[in-house]
Amino acid sequence: MKIVKRELFRMEHKKLWRKTGVRISVFLCFTYVVIFGTVLSFQWFALGSRSGYSTAFGNHFDGYSVIKDSQEYTQSFTGDLTDETLQQLVRDYQRMSDAGMDEESQRTDYLTINIWLEMLWPELKDSANYNQMISYVDPEGLTGLYERRQQAMEEFLENNNQTGREKEYILKMEEKVGIPFRYDWTQGWSILLGEVIGGMGAVMALFLAIPLSSIFSGEWHDNTGALIMTTKNGWQQIAYVKICTGIAFTAELFAVLTLGILISQWFFLGAAGWDTSIQNIKMLAVAPMNMLQAEIYELAFTFLGAVGYAGIVMLLSAAIKSNVLALLLSLAVAYAPSTVARYLPYGAQKAMDLIPLAGSGADIFRTNTFHILGKYIWSPYLLITVPVLIGMICIPFTAMRWSRRLKV
Amino acid sequence: MELSFDRLTKQYGSKIAVDRVSAVLKPGVYGLLGENGAGKTTLMRMLCAILEATSGEVFFNGEEITAMGAAYRNILGYLPQDFGYYPNYTATEFLRYIAALKGIPGNIAKKRIRELLEIVGLDHVASKKVKTFSGGMKQRVGIAQALLNNPQVLILDEPTAGLDPKERVRLRNLLADYAGNKIVILSTHIVPDIEAIADEVLLMKSGKLILQGTVPQLVQKADGKVWELSVSEKEARRWETETTVANFRHEGSQVVLRILSDTKPAEYAIPCEATLEDLYLYYFGTTEGADKDENS
Repeated sequence: MKIVKRELFRMEHKKLWRKTGVRISVFLCFTYVVIFGTVLSFQWFALGSRSGYSTAFGNHFDGYSVIKDSQEYTQSFTGDLTDETLQQLVRDYQRMSDAGMDEESQRTDYLTINIWLEMLWPELKDSANYNQMISYVDPEGLTGLYERRQQAMEEFLENNNQTGREKEYILKMEEKVGIPFRYDWTQGWSILLGEVIGGMGAVMALFLAIPLSSIFSGEWHDNTGALIMTTKNGWQQIAYVKICTGIAFTAELFAVLTLGILISQWFFLGAAGWDTSIQNIKMLAVAPMNMLQAEIYELAFTFLGAVGYAGIVMLLSAAIKSNVLALLLSLAVAYAPSTVARYLPYGAQKAMDLIPLAGSGADIFRTNTFHILGKYIWSPYLLITVPVLIGMICIPFTAMRWSRRLKV
Repeated sequence: MELSFDRLTKQYGSKIAVDRVSAVLKPGVYGLLGENGAGKTTLMRMLCAILEATSGEVFFNGEEITAMGAAYRNILGYLPQDFGYYPNYTATEFLRYIAALKGIPGNIAKKRIRELLEIVGLDHVASKKVKTFSGGMKQRVGIAQALLNNPQVLILDEPTAGLDPKERVRLRNLLADYAGNKIVILSTHIVPDIEAIADEVLLMKSGKLILQGTVPQLVQKADGKVWELSVSEKEARRWETETTVANFRHEGSQVVLRILSDTKPAEYAIPCEATLEDLYLYYFGTTEGADKDENS
């Protein structure tokens, strides 16, 4: 019996992949996420050297050599991030800038460092000076990095009305963050974690919805209900096989994208900086993680969110006879929350973050909590687990709904 | 082996699609005959347990079929009238898929599919996509899928639709070979198909089973009601409006009419041997036959 079910799964899986729409979806998703979002982003849009044009398309097509040069340049600063390291980084940037060494100065982490300066030393910012702070601030004044960070963290929480027990919870968590931070060239990781993997879920939602929204409703379109119902395995077995197929397809799409990203990452960035603190990217993050751990979290978040989303899409597909309506509702699940969130109360906004793929893998940098049954829970803990649970809960309802539909 | 149904009824609102139909079917080929909307498809769907009856029950070997569940589906083969398929699958892949649905292990399915594709004359296009097939070829794929599990009860709704004469003959022979100790029920509008193959005919009209019997038994009911007469073209038109004309052919300046009538329609009318088609027209004709029922 198991062999027959395996055969049924194999055939259902083949049927899904045979659809032209599915193949086009996978191709477009791969092109968008891996080719444009990763390869061209590293080589051109994000890390290609600037040529004076204002748009990313004006960058030179030389990201690979920029990355290698940047990594080589940063080697002398790699290690613990102290006041002295920071001062040296700023001083070196100013030296290059003053000497008109524009090309060389682009190898530095000036974008990241400038954000740190604006956040931690706001009093040194010259509002009349339109240049970046890193180009004019006195390096000698950049002292007390971690004390200032602590102060900025507390102010940030106060400003967000995170006081009392919640503030205490966040600060306690923050204590686990290793100080001093380990530093290496950050820009590549920032793009990888903040944009490439962080934004992968939102793109996957579109290209999962297209194939999976018709996985059940497509049978009405193909008019095969009567055939299915009169076979031994019948509607119930096929429902579970279709669900397995949908989840397998989700895993395959994720694997294809992840493999593409990881190969690109290895080619462009290599392993350098994997053990540096994520606080290099977002100074006030409280997760005690390095870049590699954050990458694993983001990939896990995206995969689990995608599985959860697939569960919802398949439920809609089983409940609705129209392929188009099932697709539109599936897309609404992923994209409507971010559109309507601003009109909702804060609590509802946070609840909407729990909808699969409505959030982002970059939530690992969050400093907020969910307050449930008197307990505070750091939001990434729930953001990574609840979406997949929602998808799992949908599975029996999908089978039931499909069965009821077919009985008519 | 016995498939029986007892006062099977299906009602949609105030419309009765199938009205208290009862029969006991033993192994053999049963032809379900009736005009559009007579309730043939509804009856077949209830026999397949995919449509719930408003009242009445269907039994296979004394056991109610919905209670049998998968066990009944395991011995059932069904070709729906509006047979759906997966356009991107090849004929072999489609049959592999249905075989998997029917719980047939892969190695057995492979062999069976090869045999069936040969039987239905599609072995040369086994690896072509079903969407590229003609209507008749798709219909043959449908017939093959119904036969995959070697069903004891085979229900074919309009299996000859879209088939050319050669294919129809092939199907007839196939079913004649297959029937042996199995119950085969098929519906069609094409009376000669039923005539050639059915051991018994069930004639349905307005949801009711009005006649059941072997072809000779049914044809007998039309004996003495079929007449031939030779008339002028002008007269032929009059006869056409006033009686049920089964056929007419030109012979020189005259037209020879085949008329269905309870009484001799004219002095010069010659009695003819009845066929199943005559009987069909007698019951479903447009004029005097229109209101015939089993009591006629």
